Amino acid sequence: MDAASNVAEQFGVYWPNLIAQIILFFIVYWVLSKFAFKPIMAMLEERRRRIEEGQINAEKIKQQLAEAQTKYEETLARANAEAQRLIEEVKASGEKLAGEKRQAALAEAQEIIRRTQESLSLERERTMAELKKEVGRLVAETTEKVTQKILTPQDHQKINEETARQIAA
Amino acid sequence: MQATILLAAGEITVQANRLLPSLGWLTNSFVFTVIVTILIVIGARAATRRMDLVPTGAQNFIEALVETLYATFENIVGRHMIAKVFPVIATLFIFICAANWIGLVPGVGSIGWGKPGPGLWSLTEIDRPLLRPSDADLNMTLGMAVMFMILWLFWTLRDVGLLGFLKENFAPKGGVEGWLGPFLVVIFLFVGCIEILSILLRPVSLSLRLFGNIFAGETLLHTMTTLGLALPAPLGWIASVLFPLPFFFLELLVGVLQALVFSALCGVYIRLSTHAETGGAGH
Repeated sequence: MDAASNVAEQFGVYWPNLIAQIILFFIVYWVLSKFAFKPIMAMLEERRRRIEEGQINAEKIKQQLAEAQTKYEETLARANAEAQRLIEEVKASGEKLAGEKRQAALAEAQEIIRRTQESLSLERERTMAELKKEVGRLVAETTEKVTQKILTPQDHQKINEETARQIAA
Repeated sequence: MQATILLAAGEITVQANRLLPSLGWLTNSFVFTVIVTILIVIGARAATRRMDLVPTGAQNFIEALVETLYATFENIVGRHMIAKVFPVIATLFIFICAANWIGLVPGVGSIGWGKPGPGLWSLTEIDRPLLRPSDADLNMTLGMAVMFMILWLFWTLRDVGLLGFLKENFAPKGGVEGWLGPFLVVIFLFVGCIEILSILLRPVSLSLRLFGNIFAGETLLHTMTTLGLALPAPLGWIASVLFPLPFFFLELLVGVLQALVFSALCGVYIRLSTHAETGGAGH
Protein backbone atom coordinates (compact mmCIF):
# COMPACT_ATOMS: atom_id res chain seq x y z
CA MET A 1 0.00 0.00 0.00
CA ASP A 2 2.87 2.29 0.84
CA ALA A 3 4.48 1.46 -2.50
CA ALA A 4 1.29 2.38 -4.31
CA SER A 5 1.12 5.64 -2.36
CA ASN A 6 4.71 6.40 -3.26
CA VAL A 7 4.07 5.71 -6.96
CA ALA A 8 0.94 7.84 -6.86
CA GLU A 9 2.87 10.62 -5.18
CA GLN A 10 5.66 10.38 -7.73
CA PHE A 11 3.14 10.73 -10.57
CA GLY A 12 1.27 13.48 -8.76
CA VAL A 13 -1.91 11.46 -8.33
CA TYR A 14 -4.02 12.97 -5.56
CA TRP A 15 -7.69 12.48 -4.78
CA PRO A 16 -8.70 16.15 -5.29
CA ASN A 17 -6.97 16.26 -8.68
CA LEU A 18 -8.41 12.89 -9.68
CA ILE A 19 -11.95 13.88 -8.66
CA ALA A 20 -11.64 17.27 -10.34
CA GLN A 21 -10.61 15.65 -13.63
CA ILE A 22 -13.40 13.05 -13.36
CA ILE A 23 -15.95 15.82 -12.79
CA LEU A 24 -14.69 17.62 -15.89
CA PHE A 25 -14.92 14.42 -17.89
CA PHE A 26 -18.48 13.88 -16.65
CA ILE A 27 -19.37 17.39 -17.80
CA VAL A 28 -18.02 16.56 -21.26
CA TYR A 29 -19.94 13.27 -21.19
CA TRP A 30 -23.17 14.97 -20.14
CA VAL A 31 -22.84 17.72 -22.74
CA LEU A 32 -21.98 15.34 -25.55
CA SER A 33 -24.76 12.91 -24.57
CA LYS A 34 -27.38 15.64 -24.33
CA PHE A 35 -26.36 17.95 -27.14
CA ALA A 36 -24.54 15.70 -29.56
CA PHE A 37 -25.18 11.96 -29.34
CA LYS A 38 -28.88 12.07 -28.51
CA PRO A 39 -29.97 14.56 -31.21
CA ILE A 40 -27.58 13.09 -33.77
CA MET A 41 -28.72 9.52 -33.14
CA ALA A 42 -32.33 10.73 -33.30
CA MET A 43 -31.55 12.52 -36.57
CA LEU A 44 -29.79 9.47 -38.00
CA GLU A 45 -32.73 7.30 -36.94
CA GLU A 46 -35.18 9.77 -38.52
CA ARG A 47 -33.13 9.81 -41.72
CA ARG A 48 -32.92 6.02 -41.73
CA ARG A 49 -36.70 5.83 -41.21
CA ARG A 50 -37.32 8.26 -44.07
CA ILE A 51 -34.98 6.38 -46.35
CA GLU A 52 -36.75 3.16 -45.43
CA GLU A 53 -40.10 4.83 -46.10
CA GLY A 54 -38.76 6.13 -49.38
CA GLN A 55 -37.63 2.65 -50.33
CA ILE A 56 -41.00 1.19 -49.38
CA ASN A 57 -42.74 3.92 -51.38
CA ALA A 58 -40.42 3.33 -54.31
CA GLU A 59 -41.23 -0.37 -54.09
CA LYS A 60 -44.95 0.45 -53.99
CA ILE A 61 -44.61 2.78 -56.95
CA LYS A 62 -42.68 0.10 -58.81
CA GLN A 63 -45.40 -2.41 -58.02
CA GLN A 64 -48.11 0.04 -59.06
CA LEU A 65 -46.19 0.76 -62.24
CA ALA A 66 -45.94 -2.95 -62.95
CA GLU A 67 -49.66 -3.35 -62.27
CA ALA A 68 -50.42 -0.37 -64.50
CA GLN A 69 -48.21 -1.86 -67.19
CA THR A 70 -50.02 -5.18 -66.90
CA LYS A 71 -53.39 -3.42 -67.04
CA TYR A 72 -52.22 -1.39 -70.01
CA GLU A 73 -51.08 -4.53 -71.79
CA GLU A 74 -54.34 -6.29 -70.94
CA THR A 75 -56.36 -3.32 -72.17
CA LEU A 76 -54.22 -3.14 -75.28
CA ALA A 77 -54.70 -6.85 -75.88
CA ARG A 78 -58.45 -6.49 -75.34
CA ALA A 79 -58.55 -3.49 -77.68
CA ASN A 80 -56.55 -5.43 -80.26
CA ALA A 81 -58.92 -8.39 -79.98
CA GLU A 82 -61.94 -6.09 -80.22
CA ALA A 83 -60.43 -4.32 -83.20
CA GLN A 84 -59.67 -7.66 -84.82
CA ARG A 85 -63.21 -8.81 -84.17
CA LEU A 86 -64.61 -5.59 -85.65
CA ILE A 87 -62.37 -5.96 -88.67
CA GLU A 88 -63.56 -9.54 -89.09
CA GLU A 89 -67.14 -8.39 -88.71
CA VAL A 90 -66.66 -5.59 -91.18
CA LYS A 91 -64.93 -7.94 -93.55
CA ALA A 92 -67.72 -10.48 -93.23
CA SER A 93 -70.32 -7.78 -93.56
CA GLY A 94 -68.51 -6.40 -96.61
CA GLU A 95 -68.35 -9.81 -98.19
CA LYS A 96 -72.02 -10.39 -97.49
CA LEU A 97 -72.91 -7.02 -98.92
CA ALA A 98 -70.72 -7.61 -101.94
CA GLY A 99 -72.41 -10.98 -102.42
CA GLU A 100 -75.80 -9.41 -102.15
CA LYS A 101 -74.80 -6.69 -104.59
CA ARG A 102 -73.39 -9.25 -106.91
CA GLN A 103 -76.57 -11.32 -106.67
CA ALA A 104 -78.63 -8.23 -107.27
CA ALA A 105 -76.46 -7.26 -110.20
CA LEU A 106 -76.72 -10.78 -111.60
CA ALA A 107 -80.46 -10.78 -111.15
CA GLU A 108 -80.68 -7.38 -112.77
CA ALA A 109 -78.47 -8.51 -115.60
CA GLN A 110 -80.62 -11.62 -116.08
CA GLU A 111 -83.72 -9.49 -115.97
CA ILE A 112 -82.23 -7.17 -118.62
CA ILE A 113 -81.30 -10.20 -120.71
CA ARG A 114 -84.77 -11.65 -120.27
CA ARG A 115 -86.42 -8.39 -121.18
CA THR A 116 -84.12 -7.97 -124.16
CA GLN A 117 -84.89 -11.49 -125.29
CA GLU A 118 -88.59 -10.85 -124.87
CA SER A 119 -88.28 -7.63 -126.73
CA LEU A 120 -86.25 -9.30 -129.43
CA SER A 121 -88.76 -12.11 -129.62
CA LEU A 122 -91.66 -9.71 -129.91
CA GLU A 123 -89.76 -7.69 -132.49
CA ARG A 124 -89.00 -10.83 -134.38
CA GLU A 125 -92.58 -11.97 -134.25
CA ARG A 126 -93.74 -8.58 -135.28
CA THR A 127 -91.17 -8.48 -138.10
CA MET A 128 -92.10 -11.99 -139.12
CA ALA A 129 -95.77 -11.08 -139.17
CA GLU A 130 -95.07 -8.01 -141.24
CA LEU A 131 -92.79 -10.02 -143.45
CA LYS A 132 -95.42 -12.70 -143.91
CA LYS A 133 -97.99 -10.10 -144.60
CA GLU A 134 -95.75 -8.24 -147.02
CA VAL A 135 -94.58 -11.45 -148.74
CA GLY A 136 -98.15 -12.65 -148.95
CA ARG A 137 -99.19 -9.34 -150.46
CA LEU A 138 -96.34 -9.50 -152.93
CA VAL A 139 -97.10 -13.12 -153.80
CA ALA A 140 -100.74 -12.21 -154.29
CA GLU A 141 -99.87 -9.16 -156.45
CA THR A 142 -97.44 -11.26 -158.42
CA THR A 143 -99.98 -14.00 -158.82
CA GLU A 144 -102.62 -11.47 -159.97
CA LYS A 145 -100.19 -10.01 -162.51
CA VAL A 146 -99.13 -13.43 -163.76
CA THR A 147 -102.58 -14.93 -163.97
CA GLN A 148 -104.40 -11.69 -165.03
CA LYS A 149 -107.01 -12.71 -162.60
CA ILE A 150 -108.45 -10.85 -159.71
CA LEU A 151 -107.96 -12.86 -156.56
CA THR A 152 -110.70 -13.20 -154.08
CA PRO A 153 -110.21 -12.59 -150.39
CA GLN A 154 -110.24 -16.39 -149.98
CA ASP A 155 -107.40 -16.64 -152.49
CA HIS A 156 -105.53 -13.92 -150.65
CA GLN A 157 -106.17 -15.75 -147.41
CA LYS A 158 -104.94 -19.01 -148.88
CA ILE A 159 -101.81 -17.45 -150.48
CA ASN A 160 -100.93 -15.66 -147.26
CA GLU A 161 -101.30 -18.82 -145.22
CA GLU A 162 -99.24 -20.81 -147.75
CA THR A 163 -96.51 -18.09 -147.80
CA ALA A 164 -96.45 -17.84 -144.04
CA ARG A 165 -96.18 -21.59 -143.77
CA GLN A 166 -93.29 -21.69 -146.23
CA ILE A 167 -91.49 -18.73 -144.50
CA ALA A 168 -91.92 -20.39 -141.18
CA ALA A 169 -90.48 -23.58 -142.63
CA MET B 1 5.86 35.03 -10.20
CA GLN B 2 5.88 35.99 -13.85
CA ALA B 3 4.02 34.57 -16.85
CA THR B 4 6.36 34.46 -19.79
CA ILE B 5 6.94 32.84 -23.15
CA LEU B 6 9.41 30.00 -23.01
CA LEU B 7 12.53 30.17 -25.12
CA ALA B 8 14.66 27.60 -23.37
CA ALA B 9 13.24 25.15 -20.92
CA GLY B 10 14.28 22.48 -18.52
CA GLU B 11 12.77 19.03 -18.27
CA ILE B 12 9.04 18.37 -18.22
CA THR B 13 7.94 17.09 -14.83
CA VAL B 14 5.95 13.87 -14.53
CA GLN B 15 3.50 15.61 -12.24
CA ALA B 16 1.06 18.31 -13.24
CA ASN B 17 1.96 21.65 -11.66
CA ARG B 18 -0.20 23.38 -9.10
CA LEU B 19 -1.04 26.88 -10.15
CA LEU B 20 -2.18 28.04 -6.72
CA PRO B 21 -0.63 26.43 -3.64
CA SER B 22 -3.86 26.86 -1.68
CA LEU B 23 -5.92 24.96 -4.29
CA GLY B 24 -4.26 21.61 -4.76
CA TRP B 25 -6.64 20.49 -7.48
CA LEU B 26 -6.08 23.61 -9.60
CA THR B 27 -3.27 22.29 -11.78
CA ASN B 28 -2.15 23.32 -15.23
CA SER B 29 -3.64 20.11 -16.66
CA PHE B 30 -6.96 20.94 -14.95
CA VAL B 31 -6.97 24.37 -16.61
CA PHE B 32 -6.19 22.71 -19.92
CA THR B 33 -9.02 20.19 -19.37
CA VAL B 34 -11.39 23.08 -18.65
CA ILE B 35 -10.38 24.69 -21.95
CA VAL B 36 -10.85 21.41 -23.84
CA THR B 37 -14.23 20.92 -22.15
CA ILE B 38 -15.34 24.42 -23.11
CA LEU B 39 -14.19 23.91 -26.71
CA ILE B 40 -16.01 20.57 -26.96
CA VAL B 41 -19.17 22.09 -25.45
CA ILE B 42 -19.04 25.02 -27.89
CA GLY B 43 -18.33 22.70 -30.82
CA ALA B 44 -21.12 20.28 -29.93
CA ARG B 45 -23.65 23.07 -29.42
CA ALA B 46 -22.64 24.87 -32.59
CA ALA B 47 -22.91 21.68 -34.63
CA THR B 48 -26.27 20.57 -33.27
CA ARG B 49 -28.08 23.83 -32.54
CA ARG B 50 -30.02 23.90 -35.79
CA MET B 51 -30.17 20.36 -37.01
CA ASP B 52 -31.47 19.72 -40.47
CA LEU B 53 -32.42 16.53 -42.27
CA VAL B 54 -29.93 17.46 -44.96
CA PRO B 55 -26.76 18.16 -42.96
CA THR B 56 -24.24 20.82 -43.87
CA GLY B 57 -21.01 22.16 -42.39
CA ALA B 58 -20.39 21.36 -38.72
CA GLN B 59 -23.51 19.19 -38.44
CA ASN B 60 -22.28 17.13 -41.36
CA PHE B 61 -18.89 16.68 -39.72
CA ILE B 62 -20.21 15.70 -36.29
CA GLU B 63 -22.82 13.36 -37.80
CA ALA B 64 -20.16 11.64 -39.86
CA LEU B 65 -17.97 11.36 -36.77
CA VAL B 66 -20.74 9.94 -34.57
CA GLU B 67 -21.92 7.58 -37.29
CA THR B 68 -18.39 6.29 -37.92
CA LEU B 69 -17.72 5.86 -34.20
CA TYR B 70 -21.04 4.08 -33.73
CA ALA B 71 -20.33 1.64 -36.54
CA THR B 72 -16.76 1.05 -35.32
CA PHE B 73 -17.70 0.48 -31.68
CA GLU B 74 -20.74 -1.59 -32.63
CA ASN B 75 -18.35 -4.02 -34.31
CA ILE B 76 -16.27 -4.19 -31.14
CA VAL B 77 -18.94 -4.13 -28.42
CA GLY B 78 -21.67 -5.92 -30.33
CA ARG B 79 -25.22 -4.86 -31.11
CA HIS B 80 -26.45 -6.08 -27.77
CA MET B 81 -24.70 -3.42 -25.67
CA ILE B 82 -23.79 -0.63 -28.07
CA ALA B 83 -26.81 1.59 -27.39
CA LYS B 84 -26.05 1.61 -23.65
CA VAL B 85 -22.31 2.08 -23.78
CA PHE B 86 -21.86 4.20 -26.90
CA PRO B 87 -22.12 7.64 -25.22
CA VAL B 88 -19.38 6.77 -22.71
CA ILE B 89 -17.01 5.15 -25.20
CA ALA B 90 -17.56 7.84 -27.82
CA THR B 91 -17.02 10.56 -25.21
CA LEU B 92 -13.77 8.86 -24.20
CA PHE B 93 -12.60 8.82 -27.81
CA ILE B 94 -13.63 12.40 -28.60
CA PHE B 95 -12.29 13.80 -25.36
CA ILE B 96 -8.94 12.01 -25.53
CA CYS B 97 -8.45 12.84 -29.21
CA ALA B 98 -9.42 16.50 -28.71
CA ALA B 99 -7.18 16.82 -25.65
CA ASN B 100 -4.24 15.23 -27.47
CA TRP B 101 -4.59 17.42 -30.54
CA ILE B 102 -5.26 20.64 -28.67
CA GLY B 103 -2.20 19.79 -26.58
CA LEU B 104 -0.13 20.18 -29.74
CA VAL B 105 -1.12 23.83 -30.17
CA PRO B 106 1.96 26.00 -29.63
CA GLY B 107 1.84 27.59 -26.20
CA VAL B 108 0.64 24.50 -24.39
CA GLY B 109 3.55 23.64 -22.12
CA SER B 110 5.65 26.52 -23.36
CA ILE B 111 3.93 29.45 -21.64
CA GLY B 112 4.22 29.69 -17.89
CA TRP B 113 6.43 30.65 -14.98
CA GLY B 114 10.17 30.07 -14.57
CA LYS B 115 13.62 31.64 -14.60
CA PRO B 116 13.61 34.89 -16.60
CA GLY B 117 15.73 34.91 -19.75
CA PRO B 118 17.59 37.63 -21.58
CA GLY B 119 14.77 38.79 -23.91
CA LEU B 120 11.38 40.34 -23.22
CA TRP B 121 8.96 37.81 -21.63
CA SER B 122 11.46 35.02 -22.15
CA LEU B 123 12.51 32.19 -19.85
CA THR B 124 15.67 30.18 -19.70
CA GLU B 125 13.80 27.46 -17.86
CA ILE B 126 10.12 26.90 -17.29
CA ASP B 127 9.12 25.63 -13.85
CA ARG B 128 5.36 25.74 -14.10
CA PRO B 129 3.73 25.79 -17.52
CA LEU B 130 0.32 27.45 -17.60
CA LEU B 131 -1.16 24.59 -19.60
CA ARG B 132 -0.33 20.91 -19.71
CA PRO B 133 -2.08 18.35 -21.94
CA SER B 134 -4.76 16.51 -19.97
CA ASP B 135 -3.50 13.08 -20.91
CA ALA B 136 0.01 13.97 -19.80
CA ASP B 137 -1.42 14.01 -16.27
CA LEU B 138 -2.00 10.60 -14.70
CA ASN B 139 -4.91 12.04 -12.70
CA MET B 140 -6.87 12.49 -15.91
CA THR B 141 -6.08 9.14 -17.51
CA LEU B 142 -6.53 7.24 -14.24
CA GLY B 143 -9.76 9.13 -13.58
CA MET B 144 -11.16 8.09 -16.94
CA ALA B 145 -9.98 4.50 -16.55
CA VAL B 146 -11.39 4.12 -13.01
CA MET B 147 -14.65 5.73 -13.99
CA PHE B 148 -14.94 3.43 -16.99
CA MET B 149 -14.19 0.31 -14.91
CA ILE B 150 -16.92 1.27 -12.41
CA LEU B 151 -19.36 1.63 -15.32
CA TRP B 152 -18.02 -1.61 -16.81
CA LEU B 153 -18.78 -3.45 -13.55
CA PHE B 154 -22.27 -1.93 -13.47
CA TRP B 155 -23.05 -2.92 -17.08
CA THR B 156 -21.58 -6.38 -16.62
CA LEU B 157 -23.50 -7.15 -13.44
CA ARG B 158 -26.67 -5.77 -14.97
CA ASP B 159 -26.25 -7.88 -18.08
CA VAL B 160 -25.05 -11.22 -16.73
CA GLY B 161 -25.72 -10.85 -12.99
CA LEU B 162 -23.29 -11.48 -10.12
CA LEU B 163 -23.63 -15.24 -10.44
CA GLY B 164 -23.06 -15.10 -14.18
CA PHE B 165 -19.99 -12.92 -13.68
CA LEU B 166 -18.51 -15.30 -11.08
CA LYS B 167 -19.41 -18.33 -13.16
CA GLU B 168 -17.78 -16.80 -16.21
CA ASN B 169 -14.54 -16.21 -14.34
CA PHE B 170 -14.33 -19.19 -11.97
CA ALA B 171 -16.49 -22.01 -13.34
CA PRO B 172 -14.70 -24.71 -15.38
CA LYS B 173 -15.48 -24.45 -19.05
CA GLY B 174 -17.04 -27.59 -20.52
CA GLY B 175 -18.17 -29.12 -17.19
CA VAL B 176 -16.36 -31.07 -14.43
CA GLU B 177 -17.15 -34.67 -15.35
CA GLY B 178 -14.73 -37.50 -14.70
CA TRP B 179 -11.85 -37.89 -12.29
CA LEU B 180 -10.23 -34.71 -13.66
CA GLY B 181 -13.17 -32.67 -12.35
CA PRO B 182 -11.74 -31.69 -8.92
CA PHE B 183 -8.44 -30.73 -10.50
CA LEU B 184 -10.22 -28.62 -13.07
CA VAL B 185 -12.15 -26.84 -10.33
CA VAL B 186 -8.93 -25.92 -8.57
CA ILE B 187 -7.26 -24.84 -11.81
CA PHE B 188 -10.22 -22.71 -12.87
CA LEU B 189 -10.41 -21.13 -9.43
CA PHE B 190 -6.78 -20.17 -9.81
CA VAL B 191 -7.38 -18.90 -13.37
CA GLY B 192 -10.37 -16.94 -12.06
CA CYS B 193 -8.18 -15.27 -9.45
CA ILE B 194 -5.72 -14.29 -12.17
CA GLU B 195 -8.62 -13.00 -14.26
CA ILE B 196 -9.89 -10.88 -11.37
CA LEU B 197 -6.38 -9.56 -10.84
CA SER B 198 -6.13 -8.66 -14.52
CA ILE B 199 -9.50 -6.90 -14.27
CA LEU B 200 -8.27 -4.94 -11.27
CA LEU B 201 -5.15 -3.98 -13.19
CA ARG B 202 -7.07 -2.80 -16.25
CA PRO B 203 -7.43 0.81 -15.01
CA VAL B 204 -3.69 0.88 -14.36
CA SER B 205 -2.78 -0.47 -17.81
CA LEU B 206 -5.33 1.77 -19.55
CA SER B 207 -4.24 4.90 -17.75
CA LEU B 208 -0.48 4.29 -17.86
CA ARG B 209 -0.54 3.45 -21.58
CA LEU B 210 -2.27 6.69 -22.48
CA PHE B 211 -0.30 8.78 -20.01
CA GLY B 212 3.01 7.23 -21.10
CA ASN B 213 2.41 7.84 -24.79
CA ILE B 214 1.25 11.41 -24.43
CA PHE B 215 3.87 12.34 -21.84
CA ALA B 216 6.57 10.78 -24.04
CA GLY B 217 5.24 12.76 -27.00
CA GLU B 218 5.35 15.98 -25.02
CA THR B 219 8.88 15.24 -23.91
CA LEU B 220 9.90 14.42 -27.47
CA LEU B 221 8.45 17.65 -28.84
CA HIS B 222 10.01 19.62 -26.01
CA THR B 223 13.40 18.05 -26.65
CA MET B 224 13.20 18.68 -30.39
CA THR B 225 12.13 22.28 -29.83
CA THR B 226 15.03 23.03 -27.50
CA LEU B 227 17.58 20.93 -29.39
CA GLY B 228 18.76 23.64 -31.73
CA LEU B 229 18.59 26.52 -29.28
CA ALA B 230 22.29 26.19 -28.52
CA LEU B 231 22.99 27.31 -32.10
CA PRO B 232 23.57 31.00 -32.91
CA ALA B 233 20.51 33.23 -32.99
CA PRO B 234 18.81 32.88 -36.37
CA LEU B 235 19.83 29.24 -36.83
CA GLY B 236 18.61 28.31 -33.37
CA TRP B 237 15.20 29.86 -34.02
CA ILE B 238 14.88 28.09 -37.36
CA ALA B 239 16.00 24.82 -35.81
CA SER B 240 13.46 25.18 -32.99
CA VAL B 241 10.73 25.29 -35.66
CA LEU B 242 12.10 22.74 -38.15
CA PHE B 243 13.31 20.03 -35.77
CA PRO B 244 10.02 19.32 -34.03
CA LEU B 245 7.90 19.72 -37.18
CA PRO B 246 7.91 16.04 -38.31
CA PHE B 247 7.20 14.99 -34.75
CA PHE B 248 4.13 17.20 -34.63
CA PHE B 249 2.67 15.08 -37.46
CA LEU B 250 3.70 11.94 -35.60
CA GLU B 251 1.97 13.23 -32.47
CA LEU B 252 -1.18 14.01 -34.46
CA LEU B 253 -1.25 10.35 -35.42
CA VAL B 254 -0.39 9.19 -31.91
CA GLY B 255 -3.15 11.42 -30.52
CA VAL B 256 -5.91 9.78 -32.52
CA LEU B 257 -4.39 6.30 -32.23
CA GLN B 258 -4.20 6.47 -28.45
CA ALA B 259 -7.79 7.71 -28.29
CA LEU B 260 -8.82 4.79 -30.45
CA VAL B 261 -6.78 2.29 -28.43
CA PHE B 262 -8.23 3.49 -25.13
CA SER B 263 -11.85 3.50 -26.31
CA ALA B 264 -11.51 0.27 -28.31
CA LEU B 265 -10.04 -1.54 -25.31
CA CYS B 266 -12.97 -0.31 -23.22
CA GLY B 267 -15.26 -1.76 -25.90
CA VAL B 268 -13.39 -5.06 -25.86
CA TYR B 269 -13.68 -5.30 -22.05
CA ILE B 270 -17.43 -4.79 -22.34
CA ARG B 271 -17.78 -7.39 -25.05
CA LEU B 272 -15.78 -9.95 -23.09
CA SER B 273 -17.93 -9.66 -20.02
CA THR B 274 -21.41 -9.29 -21.47
CA HIS B 275 -23.61 -11.50 -23.58
CA ALA B 276 -22.59 -11.42 -27.19
CA GLU B 277 -25.08 -11.91 -30.05
CA THR B 278 -24.17 -15.56 -30.16
CA GLY B 279 -25.43 -15.91 -26.56
CA GLY B 280 -23.40 -16.07 -23.39
CA ALA B 281 -20.31 -14.17 -22.43
CA GLY B 282 -17.25 -15.23 -24.33
CA HIS B 283 -13.53 -14.78 -24.08
